[in-house]
Amino acid sequence: MADATFSNATQVLEPFRGIKKVTIEEYFTSGHRTCQGCESALIMKLMVKAAGPRTIVLGSTGCMYVANTTYYTTPWVVPWMHTQLGSSGSAALGTAAGLKALMKKGKMKAESINVIAFCGDGGGADMGLNGISATLTHKDYNCLILLYDNESYANTDIQLSGMTPYGANTTFSPPGKVIRNIHTRWKKNMAGMMAAGHPECRYVATVCGSYAVEMMNKVRRALTIGGPTFIHSLDPCPKGWDYDPMLSHEMGELAIETGLFPLYEVEDGVVKYYGKTKALIEGRKRKPVREYLLKQGRFAHFTEEDLGYFQAKVDEMWEKWEIPAVIPFRRLDASKAALEVK
Amino acid sequence: MSALICEVVYRGIFQKNLASRITRGIVLSARKAGRWGIAFGRYGDSPQRNGIPAKDFAIVADTKEELEQNMARYEPKHVDVTICVDDTLSKGVESWAWYGLQPINKLTVPNGTLLMTSLQSPESLLKDIHKKDAPYKLSLIPAKASFAGLWVYREDHTEVRILGALAKIAPDFLTLDAVSQAIKESEWGSDLKVASAKKAYERIETREIKMTEGNGEIPFSFEMPKWWEMREGVTIPAIPVGKPKEAGKGYVPERNPYFKKYTTRTMRPVIDFDTCVKCNLCWISCPDSVFDVMPDGTFDAAMEACCGCGVCEAVCPVEHCVTMVNEQAFDDNASQWEMWRKDKAAYKTWLGTKIADKKTTVRSHGFRFRGQYDQELKAELDSGGVEITAGIPGENAAHKTV
Repeated sequence: MADATFSNATQVLEPFRGIKKVTIEEYFTSGHRTCQGCESALIMKLMVKAAGPRTIVLGSTGCMYVANTTYYTTPWVVPWMHTQLGSSGSAALGTAAGLKALMKKGKMKAESINVIAFCGDGGGADMGLNGISATLTHKDYNCLILLYDNESYANTDIQLSGMTPYGANTTFSPPGKVIRNIHTRWKKNMAGMMAAGHPECRYVATVCGSYAVEMMNKVRRALTIGGPTFIHSLDPCPKGWDYDPMLSHEMGELAIETGLFPLYEVEDGVVKYYGKTKALIEGRKRKPVREYLLKQGRFAHFTEEDLGYFQAKVDEMWEKWEIPAVIPFRRLDASKAALEVK
Repeated sequence: MSALICEVVYRGIFQKNLASRITRGIVLSARKAGRWGIAFGRYGDSPQRNGIPAKDFAIVADTKEELEQNMARYEPKHVDVTICVDDTLSKGVESWAWYGLQPINKLTVPNGTLLMTSLQSPESLLKDIHKKDAPYKLSLIPAKASFAGLWVYREDHTEVRILGALAKIAPDFLTLDAVSQAIKESEWGSDLKVASAKKAYERIETREIKMTEGNGEIPFSFEMPKWWEMREGVTIPAIPVGKPKEAGKGYVPERNPYFKKYTTRTMRPVIDFDTCVKCNLCWISCPDSVFDVMPDGTFDAAMEACCGCGVCEAVCPVEHCVTMVNEQAFDDNASQWEMWRKDKAAYKTWLGTKIADKKTTVRSHGFRFRGQYDQELKAELDSGGVEITAGIPGENAAHKTV
């Protein structure tokens, strides 16, 4: 009987057409213990503002768990649950499956409820990668996984993660007198990896809180399309990146304008660049990465050589990759042709 | 047989390295004076957040047994010296942990000392510092609050000036000779820093504070639930969704009733409602949902929620529409919009005086570009300050400035 009323439909969330049309209500409000100028807290606010009141939010351990829900207090208006560091993927899938089962059995009123699990770069891109990957293959469950990437284990005072950029100063990679750059690995390409590796995941996007309306519309698109979806957000972190908190918004803009972090969505396998990134693809000049790097204390030890290396790696993303700044593959003939030119 | 207990109250992250240098410096000086000591941070303050007040402690004792006796406590309940390295904390301390607002002098013992860095006069500070039920001393080192981030240290000698002043306050525990020796031998020390410490020792100004002096306001507090009142499975009631401001118009969100940010900020936004173009950017960009939507479409900054990051000023497209002003310029947390609505001309005058004062609008919230601290300190030196050395924590790193 209950079967008749249950459907796997998602909420249809139309994009906000401009900042004046954005929902006025807050579902993640004030009174959290985040840093001055915390962009991840902004992402939480925008994420759930976009999703609306019929939403369940699941947070794996990280700043957005610890700073938001401590000592028996919370800024959340919507239902929220804490889950372990590496388990945002399984929490999302389990919650979506649980809701489905309860509705099918008639134990809960059948309705479309958004399920969003968020994780930091440590919890998502390092520890939780396997769970997220598994969830993105379960196409019959509607859930969104949002990775808020502040490029370190910021909650526990800035340890190195797989998403920390080359050369950055962290408690695990202090620049020394003998070795200047302890951290010499290049950052993972999370969104590209998720899109390339999960052919039945219908929507993957990258976002940045400096472009708030576009960010919210990507969340709305992901929730509307349904199935398991993934969003990667780059969140400037005044604590770990060491800059004046007033510059959080500007730091996000610079990450996009230098081409370091591309804004795009992959819907049913089609890559679509948007915002400033679209302009870069269409030929606008990228800003030099030094404008971004030298505004952050974590790169204060960089020499010209380091800046040059960093710039060359970013240039490679845009000039050599088969799908610029998204997928690092190169076609054999294209690379041969490149060799011949040399 | 006795012990000296000090706390350092500071702005999380911005002054983390400064506070740890001070407490370490106290312990190292104690060793030079033949005593024992320990330095530690308050467990409840970790992990720290930019700007949210935090505490470090240092305990010095004549014997090891006495030191152990003091270490057996979770954290000191009374301190002989409260060291405060940002004078906006004179309004009180709302720590990361669940405490409500604590007066800056709360842990200071009767006849103990509150040592502050400030350019304000004792009278001006006492407008903010809460009254205490015992007399105490207020010692001032004339200095700006020294803010920097985790990685690049601001070498403005604040740490050694505190240590020098402390030798004057507690000569039975830390002699000036011991302090000088410890500074000289530490990895961040130099002869110049020893000279700064000695100057602070000579110049420190102390004033007795009577029980009748100070801010009479009762600090924000709340009833904490007992363990048997807590709900099963560690569930927490959600915050209700907010309401329109008035007559069905505008919007004011409900807020966490336990954690107010009155003292987590050092600056606050001052808003010109007449020039506001209602672009919504401050409202949408604020990580703390500070901006209440007013019926006329402007935005009022709720002072209970603002932690003073300044992103609103950065995104505002109109010049001087949102201006960050230092907390020392304010005596209350009243609504600016209500003030403006009541008397627009008077508000304009009020706003004009607040944002015109360079002393309270200048910003020093950490790293903006490489070499900035050296430039700032050079400018101060040119106007008669002490010379400084460039570098980062732990070394004089010439190779870090290209």
